[in-house]
Amino acid sequence: MAKFPLLHSAVSIMTPLLLAATGGLFTELSGMLNIALEGMMLWGAFSSIVFTHYTGSLFLGVLLALLTTMLLAAIMGSATLYLRSNIFITGLATNLLASGLTVVLSYRMFGNKGVVVFKGIKELPYLKIPPLQSIPILGDLLIGHHLFVYLSWFLLLVALFLLYHTPFGLRLRSIGDNEEVLLSLGHQPNLYRMVAFLIAGAFCAFGGATLSLSLGAFVPNMTSGKGWIALVVIFLGQRRPLGLLLAAFVFGLADAFSNYAQGAFNIPAEFILAIPYVFTLLVMIGLSAFNSRRRGS
Amino acid sequence: MERKIDLPLILVIILLALLAVVISVFLLSGDPLRTLHYFFLGPLKGRYYIGNFLNSMGVLIFGALGFSIAMQGGSFNLGGEGQIYGGAFVATIATFGLARLGVVAPPLALLAGALFSGLIAALSGFLKLRWGTNELITTFLISYALILVVNYLVGGPFLDPTTNLIATRKIAPQFQLAKILEPSNLSTGLIYALLAVVVVSFYLNRSRSGFELKMMGYNPQFALYSGIRVGWYTLWPMFLSGAFYGLAGGISIFGTYHATVKEFSSGMGWNALAVALIARYRPWAIVPAALFFAYLEAGSRNAMLHSDVTFEIISIVQAVIFFFITSALLKKRGGRHG
Repeated sequence: MAKFPLLHSAVSIMTPLLLAATGGLFTELSGMLNIALEGMMLWGAFSSIVFTHYTGSLFLGVLLALLTTMLLAAIMGSATLYLRSNIFITGLATNLLASGLTVVLSYRMFGNKGVVVFKGIKELPYLKIPPLQSIPILGDLLIGHHLFVYLSWFLLLVALFLLYHTPFGLRLRSIGDNEEVLLSLGHQPNLYRMVAFLIAGAFCAFGGATLSLSLGAFVPNMTSGKGWIALVVIFLGQRRPLGLLLAAFVFGLADAFSNYAQGAFNIPAEFILAIPYVFTLLVMIGLSAFNSRRRGS
Repeated sequence: MERKIDLPLILVIILLALLAVVISVFLLSGDPLRTLHYFFLGPLKGRYYIGNFLNSMGVLIFGALGFSIAMQGGSFNLGGEGQIYGGAFVATIATFGLARLGVVAPPLALLAGALFSGLIAALSGFLKLRWGTNELITTFLISYALILVVNYLVGGPFLDPTTNLIATRKIAPQFQLAKILEPSNLSTGLIYALLAVVVVSFYLNRSRSGFELKMMGYNPQFALYSGIRVGWYTLWPMFLSGAFYGLAGGISIFGTYHATVKEFSSGMGWNALAVALIARYRPWAIVPAALFFAYLEAGSRNAMLHSDVTFEIISIVQAVIFFFITSALLKKRGGRHG
């Protein structure tokens, strides 16, 4: 048993947020506000558990979820970049499509528009990584999590490497700052943006898979605003990979606390559900107030 | 500044939307022909279905006006879902307190709902003005928190224990709008919606304030240099936008539901947004766009009732519209918001 249960569960709860935010960092750095993280994560949640159910393999299930979510990202990317549609509207389209399609398919496949429980799905494997345990203080928080928690940290390192230590990352970041430079060097900014969309899709698929597979069930709109929170995680993390880790932990902690509050105090469930939205809003306001003050001085 | 109606674009979008219906029905239905029959002909079968189909136009028109006004003023209001629901709830509650005031009570109750939602949207405008907080994100977050709070109020303190629904008490008969095509739900709400189109169109095209609002949306920099009060025109379009969403909610209570039923308006905000996009934010174009979308909505409701697909099939159609509607390649002239 963990010594600090609240902190320990925050580390686990932040995983989908961290994954979606890391994916969203790619689109964000290429200069696009991507509000479709929510929809891509929802599709990832649905497809991963459904494919795992039908293939009987966690690996195949997640792989197919990854590919189909990237397809969704590619549709949004094509509409945005090549048809030159407004990115907020194509983002909404992606969110509405995911939200509708998951319900329509769930009804078609399981005759049920509500919660679908998959009894045959095994629990996610819990990893034992002994070296982590020997880290003082933190060690206790880092052990005893399931596969996807460690995967999210590994993928964060991959993102860090891709963005800051490869020519691809350098060019991608330069589009966000100044598109002209890249054009003048003979690169196609839209190609880089498309790759950013695909990476965002892949990360969101992992994020969604974490939600449904750790629960063993699909709940309609189970992402419940997490894609939007992930956007704010990116801003709060100052658009840097390690900043994301800290920011995601803050939100994970808030979420863990509201879970705890639900049990400890007699607060109506609706208010508990509203906490993430309100907390995210307050962080967003505080952040913009801080930034505008800094710009002003 | 006035953009002409681009007929080929509208036709392409309508065709794509219909194609999306046909393809998804063939993929999802065990009996596609039966489903398509109910989808396309169901809404037109008799006065009951026609009336219900036309009735949903009213809410779509009010909501689409709401999104369009913000857009014309250069702001995104993604809070329609919560602002419709919140406005409906406040209007419902207001009727309980205002009943003694007689003929002025119904408009006052509607205004209370509109004022509430207007202020909610204006709050996002204020945050944008004060600190540059992105209104796209704040309107969405506030809206979803608001939905949950209203859910609590409807299911808790304001629950009517005498019905099986999770709903408030019914509003008194004096607040209920007259029916036009009984036994359908069609009420005078649609007429008010059409009046609202006239008023908004007049405001945007014939008044000084409307002109300044549009200039703000067209080019904020230019608006600033022309001496337009940029601060005011960050708040005002958002307030109006929320107010019209609030009216959409109030009208659907007074005309159709007669009580705030839990999550009755789920999806209405997004549907209204689709209508506004099809109409490209022009008040007059909202009327045919609402007719088209109400038809799709009624079609999917009918297909669900009489066949084996669910209502959510409409969000696939909606997504197809959203992916293409703002495409710069499909239209001849580029607009500012894509």
